[in-house]
This record gives sequence, C-alpha cells and structure tokens, in this order.
Amino acid sequence: MSTTTERLQLPFTRPNVLELAPLYEVLRREAPIAPVTTPAGDPAWLVTRFEEVRLLLGDKRFGRSHPEPEKASRISTAAVQDGPTGEYATEEADHVRMRRLLTPAFSAKRMRMLGDNMEELVDGYLDRLVAEHESTGVVDLHRGLAFPLPVAMICRLLGVPEEDNEKFASLSERMAGTQIGEDAHKAREEFFRYMVGLVEGKRGQLGEDVISDLVRAQAEDPSFNYEEMVRLCVGLLFAGHETTVNRIGLGVLFLLTDRSRWEALVADPDGRVDAVVEEVMRLGAPGDLGLLRYAREDVDIAGVTIQAGDAVVLSINAANRDVEVYSEAEEFNPDRPERTHLGFGHGAHFCIGASLARTELRVVFAALARRLPSMRLAKDLDQLEVRATLTGGVSELPVTWRSA
Amino acid sequence: MKVVVDQGKCVGAGQCVLAADDVFDQNDDDGLVALLDASPPPERLADVQHAAAVCPASAIVVEDS
Repeated sequence: MSTTTERLQLPFTRPNVLELAPLYEVLRREAPIAPVTTPAGDPAWLVTRFEEVRLLLGDKRFGRSHPEPEKASRISTAAVQDGPTGEYATEEADHVRMRRLLTPAFSAKRMRMLGDNMEELVDGYLDRLVAEHESTGVVDLHRGLAFPLPVAMICRLLGVPEEDNEKFASLSERMAGTQIGEDAHKAREEFFRYMVGLVEGKRGQLGEDVISDLVRAQAEDPSFNYEEMVRLCVGLLFAGHETTVNRIGLGVLFLLTDRSRWEALVADPDGRVDAVVEEVMRLGAPGDLGLLRYAREDVDIAGVTIQAGDAVVLSINAANRDVEVYSEAEEFNPDRPERTHLGFGHGAHFCIGASLARTELRVVFAALARRLPSMRLAKDLDQLEVRATLTGGVSELPVTWRSA
Repeated sequence: MKVVVDQGKCVGAGQCVLAADDVFDQNDDDGLVALLDASPPPERLADVQHAAAVCPASAIVVEDS
C-alpha cells in the first residue's frame, strides 16, 4: 500500500470559517497526494497542491462514476458529492450532452444581461434592510440579502416558483447535511419527488426556462433517461443557490473582519469589485472536503500510485492557498498579481454557473459598499453559527451601521 | 498576434468572454466559444493571454508574433 506512516482522518479541524487547518500547509509541502480516511470511514487520496489539483481536474482518467458503485469509497454521509454518480460506461458522453444543453442558458453574455435586473432586486432588499435597521439597529444580511438574491435568480432561470423557496432551501440544507446520517438521503428522495411534481406540472405548458428546455430535450432523446433529467434539475436548483448564498456570506466576513479591506472597496466600489470578487472566490473555503473523483485507471503522480477505482478528494480550498502559486497566499489581497484560482473548478466540470455567480457577487458587493459604507459585524466571527453541511458557511450575518 | 480556438475542447465556461469580450464571444445556440477577432492588436495581448490561461479546457492558443 502506501509508504506514508498513517492515514489522516478527514475532516481536519479548522480554526474558524475563514481559515483552513494548518495541516494543509504541511501536506502541500510534504505529501501533496496523501492517503486519508474520509468522514464516512473509507480510504481516499487527498490532493492539496495547486498543480496536482488543477492537473487532475483536467485529466480524463478521473471521473465521477465508478465501475462498481457499491464498492466505491464513500466520502461523507451527506447526499451530495458523497459517492459515485452516473453511468461508468457512458459518463463522458452523458456529460457532454448535458453541458451542450445547459451552456447557452448560462453564458457570460446572458448572465451579464441579467445584471440590471439583479441590481434592482438588490436595491429592493437593501431598502427593506435599511427600514428594518431603523427600528432594530441590527439586521441579518443572510436572511435579507445573501439568501433571497441567488434564490430569486435561480428560480427565474430554471422556472421554479419562488414561493417554494423555504421548501427547497430546507431540502438542500438536509441533503448537504453531514451530521444527520440517513436523513440526508431521505431529503434527496423528497427533493426528487418535489422536482417530479414540478416537471410534470410544466409539461403541458412548457416555457422559456431551463427546466422546460430539459423536459423538451428528454422527450426528444431516447437515450436521455427521465431520472437523470430530474436529478439534473435537482442538482441545478441545489447548486444554483446554496453555493452563492455561502459565498456572499464568506465574502462579507472577509471584508468586515479587517476594516482596511472594506474601506478599500467603499472608496471605489465599481473600480474594485471585480478584483474583490475573484479574491473572495479564491480564499473563500466552503466545507472541509473538496471535489470528488474516481480513478478510471492506475495513475502514477507526485510519487504515489492511484489505483483504478480509488477515490480522490481534490482540495480546492488548499490549492487556492498554495504558496508556490500565490504570494502571501493566506492574505486577502484583491490587488495580488496572480489572477487565476480554482474557485469554480477546472476542466470539463468547470462550474456552469460561474458567470451567474460572478454577476451576483459583483452586484451584491458593489451595492453593499455604495449603500452601507459604515456597516460592521454585530457579532464576533467566532460567535457566528456555522452550518453542519458539506458546503459549510454561516447561517447568520448580523450587521449594524448604528454610530457606536 | 494570432488566436486559435478549439470548439471541440471548449466547455462553454465563458471565462474568455469575461477576460476579453472584444476577442471572444459565446454562440447563442450552443454556448461554445466564438472568435470575434483572430488577430487582435498587440495592446490586447495581456488580456488574450489571460483568457487562454484561465480557459478550463485549454481550448485557446495564442501565438505572439
């Protein structure tokens, strides 16, 4: 097996929601591909260095399916990124078809066109928060902004009724839950049933939205399995809000825990917001694991042999703080010379919602800096409740702009 | 400068459009890369090279002449 003395147990305890466990720095230096035990108790490889994470994300010898799914290592007890997905034999073709179907709806140009619409929405959320602040003195940015904006946008794109938001948000939360055992998988089944209802309700009156597009495509293509289509819709609705809600929260925390970061953005919101968003994408580290792949053949890399069928956890969080790639890698510095990161992944599975997320994040941070320049956290970072889900993040963002 | 794109490799991420929207676009029908300017002026080199560097599918090649 391995020459390394012991298998490390995932997850590594982190100091707080913004910092990573110091062990990642040691691993990047000494064992960039290390044998670990997953939170589910199974063996896997943990990849921590930028070079190898990027390489493996773009390497077709690694996929998301497994030839014998029941024998594959499980990663966690959550019902997202917990084990293999898809058909081993047709994985690449299935993925290419899905990508072709969805890419136009999420293109950079279309997302940019949604920008004005988003600005209006965000102004409305901020109006309400300002009014609430007048009587309470403290408001929750999570509930009043970070959550409703991504939800509203993904509902419009997918054609999901916005009034269902509490239902699918709670299903998403449970589905990604890491400490609720089997209930995560029950939530996935409930989410599936909810989506079947939505899909069948639309069938008679298909519209100009992504779920309608998928229903049409599935009806026309005999190789496009119905369950696969529904799973895809669930995946889009889950990933389309959960990830961005978290990222807004992490960004607000990075900006408000060091006044100089916030003041720099406030001084020039339009000029600085793009760089701030990229730095939030680089440093923001949701969850304690990474992206999951399974080797399709034996691969020798960085001094180890990954065998066919082995699970590989690619730590985006660790790769994005690699000192070999980034100067003062742990520092939040939007002016850094390095302009790339793996926050949206890399390779064939690169986040299809990247342009949507970027547009949302730019609108949110520019509007916050313009309208609430004296905003600060109303609680210490360590007192904020962290969600016990695969994607982590905080469940509250209490802020105030009362004069102290 | 000469720019070449490979639609067969493209995954439609749109990163190149964000980096240099005067050189790259995405097709309306399939979202894949569309080259607007195969020989951009020299002052666009930095952004075009950035587009090639951030392409998740390595589908852009820039020849600096």
